[in-house]
Amino acid sequence: MKKFILAASVLVAVYSCKKAEGTAKENTTEATSEAPKTNNKIVTLNGGITEIVAALGHEKEIVATDVTSTYPASLKTTAKDLGHMRSMTIEPIMAVSPTLILASDKDINPELMGKIKSSGIKTEVFKQEYTVEGTKKLIEQVAKAIGNTDYQKLNDKIDADLKQVQPIAKKPKVLFIYARGNMLMVSGKNTPMASLITLAGGENAVTDFEDFKPLTPEAVVKANPDVLFFFETGLQGAGGNEGALKMPGVSQTNAGKNKKIIAMDGGLVSGFGPRVGEAAVGLNKLLIESTK
Amino acid sequence: MKAQSKLYFYLIISAVLLAIIAVLSLNTGVYDFGEKSPFMALWQFIKGDSGLSLSDKYVIWDVRAARIIMAILVGSMLSVSGTSLQGLFKNPLATGDLIGLTSGATLLAAIAIVLGGHFKEYLPEAVQFSLVGIAAFIGSFLSMMLVYRISTSGGKTNVVMMLLTGVAITAIGFSITGFLIYISKDEQLRDLTFWNLGSLAAATWTKNIILAVVAVIAYIILLPKGKALNAMMLGEKDAQHLGINVERLKKQIIIIVALMVGSCVAFSGTIGFVGLIVPYILRLLFKSNYTFILPLSAMCGSILLLTADTFSRSIVAPSELPIGILTALMGGPIFIAILVKFKKSL
Repeated sequence: MKKFILAASVLVAVYSCKKAEGTAKENTTEATSEAPKTNNKIVTLNGGITEIVAALGHEKEIVATDVTSTYPASLKTTAKDLGHMRSMTIEPIMAVSPTLILASDKDINPELMGKIKSSGIKTEVFKQEYTVEGTKKLIEQVAKAIGNTDYQKLNDKIDADLKQVQPIAKKPKVLFIYARGNMLMVSGKNTPMASLITLAGGENAVTDFEDFKPLTPEAVVKANPDVLFFFETGLQGAGGNEGALKMPGVSQTNAGKNKKIIAMDGGLVSGFGPRVGEAAVGLNKLLIESTK
Repeated sequence: MKAQSKLYFYLIISAVLLAIIAVLSLNTGVYDFGEKSPFMALWQFIKGDSGLSLSDKYVIWDVRAARIIMAILVGSMLSVSGTSLQGLFKNPLATGDLIGLTSGATLLAAIAIVLGGHFKEYLPEAVQFSLVGIAAFIGSFLSMMLVYRISTSGGKTNVVMMLLTGVAITAIGFSITGFLIYISKDEQLRDLTFWNLGSLAAATWTKNIILAVVAVIAYIILLPKGKALNAMMLGEKDAQHLGINVERLKKQIIIIVALMVGSCVAFSGTIGFVGLIVPYILRLLFKSNYTFILPLSAMCGSILLLTADTFSRSIVAPSELPIGILTALMGGPIFIAILVKFKKSL
C-alpha cells in the first residue's frame, strides 16, 4: 500500500515538473504564431511547395512547415518547425489551427494522411514530378490552391534561368552521393538529383536502378563517375573532400583520381520549386569548372 | 476471502491511479483549446454540445482520447501476455519479445504491409486493418509454436532452449525485415524504422474497437486462470493431480497470447519489454501468486504504457520519441536484475 502511494506521488511530482516546462513552451509558440495577420493559415509539408507559396508572396500566411522547408530562411522565425514528415503527428499540426495543408504525395505517410483527412482541414496533396514541366504544373496547382493566379512570372523565371545553362561538350558522368556514415546512398533514375544533373548538362552515373540505394564500392568503380556530387551538409558530415576521397572505391574512379568533388545546398538542389532553374545553372557552372 | 478483498483493494487503487494518469495525459499536448480546458472540451463532446469547434472536437476525441485508450489496451494486453507466458513457462524471462513472438508478428506484418500494397487499395478499410492484424497474429502464433516445440520435450520446457529459440527467430525476423528495408524506398525505410520502435500515434477508434474485442475475449478466458498457473508452479504432473487440464491450459494460453501480441504489434508496432517490467514489479510485491498478479498486470500494464506514451509525446514536442525507446530503457535494467537474481537457476 505504502509502495503504491509512494509510486503515485513520485509520478505526479515528475509529471508536474514536465507540465510546467510544457506550458512555458506553448506560450512562446503562441507569441510567434500571432505574426501572420492574413486570413489563410497554411501548413506546408514539403520544401519545394514552401518555396512556391513564399515566392508567390504568401510567406506570411505560412504558420508551420516541415524540416525540409529551409528556404526562405526567414521562415525559421515566423513558422513553426514540425520536424520530419515521417515522425510528424497530427496534434502539432492541429495546434497551429491551419486553414489549409499543402503536401506532396511522396513525403506523407499513410497513417498521418488518414489522420489529416479525418481532421476535416482543407488539404491539397500534389503529385510532384522532378522535371521542369512537373515543377511548372506544381506551381500552377499550388497557386490555385492558395487563390493566387499570378504564377506565370515564376514559370517565366525558370525558363529565363534555364537559358543560362551552358552546353557541355563532353557530358560528365555525375554520381550524387547522399552520405550517411560509411553507407553511400546514391541516386538512381527518377530522382530529383538525376533530373537536375541532366538539366545541368551532365549525365547521371547510375542507370541501372531507380530511387536511392546503398552502392557497394565495386559498383562505384563500375559506375566510374567523372564528378562526385554532394549536399553541402552531407560532404561536411563525410569529412569534406578528403573524407569523400577515402570512401571505399572512390579512389579508383575518374572523379577520385582527378579529385573532382562538388557540393551544393540540399534544399536548392532537391526542392524542385521555383529555384529549379537557379539550381541547374549553379550545378552547370560547377560541372563546367570541374571538367576544365 | 480475505485475499480476495485485498485483490479488489489493489485493483481499485490501480484503477484510480490509471484514471489520474489518463486525466493528466488528456491535459498534455501542444494543441491549445483556448479559454476552455481539455476536460471541458471532452465534456462538451460527450454532451454533444454544438458550441465545440470541429478542431477542438477532433483533437480531444479522435487524437488524444483515442490514443489514451489505445495505450491502455495495448499496455494491458502486452503485460498480461508476459505474465501468462511466465506462468506457463515457469520463468520470469518469458515474454513475447524475448522468445520471438514480437519479432515473428513484426515480420509478417511488415510483409503484409510491403506486399499488401499491390492489392490493398481494392479492399475496404476494415479489411485493410485486419489484413495486417491477421498476418501479425499468424506470425506470433507460428513463432509461439516453434518456440514451444523446440524447447519442450517430455512435458518439460528447457528455459535456455526457449530463449535461444527466441534469439534465432528474432535473428531470422530481423534479417528478412532487413531485406524488406533494403528493397524499400527511402521514405518507406523511414516508416519501417519508426514502426520498428513502436508508436501509438496512429490510434483510431476503429483500431481501439478491434483491440478491445480481442482484450475482452482474452481476459474472459485468461484472467480466471490464476489458480491453474499457481498449480503449474508445482510442476505439470502435480498440477495434473490437482485436476488441471494442463494440455488444454497450455493451448489456450499459447493461442490467446499470440492473438494479443499479434494484434498489438499490428496496430502499434514493436513496443518491447512491457511484458517483462510489469510482472517483475508485481512479483516483487506479491511473490509469484498468479491470482494476484494476473489481474493486476492487466491494470499496471496500462499504467506503465500510458505514462510512457505521455512522456514520449511531450519530451521532444512538437515531434515525438518512439515509445519503444522508453520501454526498452526501463526494461533493460530489469532484465539484468532478473538475470542476476536468477543466476543460479537459469
